[in-house]
Amino acid sequence: MKRKLLAALAGVALSLSAVLPVQAQDALARVMEAGVLKVGTETAFAPFDFVDAGTHTGLNVDVFDEIGKDMGVKIEWITLDWTGVLPGLEAGRFDMVAGPATITAERMKRYRFSSPIAEATVALLVGANSDIAKPEDISGKPVGAGTGTAQLAQLKAFSESLDTPASEIREYVSFNEAYADLAAGRIEAVANSLPNIAFVASQRPEVFKVVTPAFGTPTYFGYPGRIEDEYASLMDKIDEILLKMRADGRMEKLQQKWFGTTFDMPEKVTEPAI
Amino acid sequence: MSFDFAVILARGPQILAGLGVTILIWIAGTLLAAALGFLVATARRFGGRFVDLALSLPVEILRGTPFLVQIFLLYFGGPYIGLRLDPIPAGLIGLSVYGAAYYAEIFRAGYQSVPTGHVEAAACAGFSRGQTIRFILLPEMALLVLPPAMNMAVILLKETALLSLITVPEMTMTVSAIGSQQYAFVESLVVLALVYWALVELANLLGRLAERRLSTFGTP
Amino acid sequence: MTWTLFELLLQASLMTILVSAVSILAGLAIAIVLSAMRMSGNAALKGFAVVFISFFRGVPLLVQLLLIFNLLPSLGITLPSLATALIGLSLCTAAYQAENLRGGFEGVAPGLIESAEMAGFTRAQSFFWIRTPIALRMTFPALVNEAILILKASSLVSVVGLIELTKMAQNLAASTYQPLPIFASAGLIYLAINVVVAFLGRRAERALPGLPSA
Repeated sequence: MKRKLLAALAGVALSLSAVLPVQAQDALARVMEAGVLKVGTETAFAPFDFVDAGTHTGLNVDVFDEIGKDMGVKIEWITLDWTGVLPGLEAGRFDMVAGPATITAERMKRYRFSSPIAEATVALLVGANSDIAKPEDISGKPVGAGTGTAQLAQLKAFSESLDTPASEIREYVSFNEAYADLAAGRIEAVANSLPNIAFVASQRPEVFKVVTPAFGTPTYFGYPGRIEDEYASLMDKIDEILLKMRADGRMEKLQQKWFGTTFDMPEKVTEPAI
Repeated sequence: MSFDFAVILARGPQILAGLGVTILIWIAGTLLAAALGFLVATARRFGGRFVDLALSLPVEILRGTPFLVQIFLLYFGGPYIGLRLDPIPAGLIGLSVYGAAYYAEIFRAGYQSVPTGHVEAAACAGFSRGQTIRFILLPEMALLVLPPAMNMAVILLKETALLSLITVPEMTMTVSAIGSQQYAFVESLVVLALVYWALVELANLLGRLAERRLSTFGTP
Repeated sequence: MTWTLFELLLQASLMTILVSAVSILAGLAIAIVLSAMRMSGNAALKGFAVVFISFFRGVPLLVQLLLIFNLLPSLGITLPSLATALIGLSLCTAAYQAENLRGGFEGVAPGLIESAEMAGFTRAQSFFWIRTPIALRMTFPALVNEAILILKASSLVSVVGLIELTKMAQNLAASTYQPLPIFASAGLIYLAINVVVAFLGRRAERALPGLPSA
């Protein structure tokens, strides 16, 4: 009797789950057919992705322009707060994510990452007149980072490794609010990847400066996509284009444009350091 | 897609901490807003035409702009004029000032509902202005003021969710952060919706009880 | 704060106006249906309306919008940001408008309904052609008030990816590091729109025909 009930329950569960995955169609074929690649992102992540005087711009916009050209499709941007971006990807709101996101072991269990597009090693941004000279100096001071980011996780781990941890670690909806709070003096440092904070400091040298060396483990940024089989073809295509862009110098040019430097990056991250 | 509420509920203590911040800011903010609103309405009622006009301006500005824009202005704009508040004080002040504008209007309507004859009669009987407010105006307007005042309290409860956007560690911020850490975003939102819904219905119930009590006692 | 920045804010305010206007009208239509359900004899319809109104009045709009945006796709419904924002705002304002209309419907003189029935109107006909217009007329000031509330509430729709006045202000504040003048200007634009809406509302109120005295 009990077994029958269980079997019936299992049957109901199966039939329910059978209803839901309606789009088992190959993602690449679907994108090509629609002529549109939908990309989810946040716009508070300069210089990768930001809004300059009302215009969406940054490395992501340039890279996806190239991807769109190579694939012969239009790019449609969907911009959300970062906390909503990865859930939006899982919910099927868009085909992939720009972001970018730090490639971590935990995230690789859930997402398929593109070939890396930049270094993501985390360092500190502080006020131009700050007495924080090395990462350890955040001891006993209030610091912050964007909520739901790998940078925040690294900041927490680093703070706990100190004899006296940071007095407070604030979590922000986006890094823009964290920078604003740093400028306002509510916190004393923001942890984000070097390419990000180097850009911010170069834009506002009278307000911000970067503290070197980086305290984080060396990591890389990639574009996250879905891990399911039907998305493999799409993500393979993205990798193919990104590597082609590296080979023909387009990627180097874009990195120079946005970071003022280029990065030494593996073609594929298989064993992330964190 | 399957839903997993266990990973959210497993973080019970964190959720409760967020709920605590929400309730504290709500109650303190509402009381401050009502007190400030009462002061403004009283000043407008007795302060003469100039005070009435001067106070109507901030009230209309606060009522004509979104709460979100007000707290962004206070929290992110404030430091540029030397007003550097931490998230919780900023949230509390923002909520109180915003609510005060609405409470000022509620009390103003209350003052208007009392016939001038009653106030004049009190003056003839030798009541001071304070006594007139305390013994004539407030009791007479109570029944009229209570429902919109309770309604406003419920609106303020829901507005506290916006304080997550200026990093106040209240319930919306705490629970949605858990949701994104645990890859259970939808579940976290369902939990949030249910808790707010329950709180609002509870507040509505208390409001109805207070009204019933007042209507059996208060009428002369 | 330059004119160019202010112009960008003005452009973004068109989205604010569009979203609010569509939502307030769609919300009104839903509110009338909800009122009909609530006054119907059918317990299931009535129960649905009561729970719907209680839920959408009981949950912060921010949470509602995020929930609709993230929950619908897992039910197989994927809508663009604009549609999600419109649905979220419409459902929310529908609940409030239904509550506003309640007073109007209760205020319709019973004699009018009786005479409509004697004149051969069915219940549905008397609801849509007699009671609804009177309720709408009686609660018109509340509708104007709700329009102003929704204009302000639309500042939240950026969480589902729509760029309107508040989001544009956030973006500009981040890229220019001038939050004070930018948020103040955004507030000013909201205020101006609301003053206009309130003014038009008062004009319309005066232009509308008076109520029948039955």
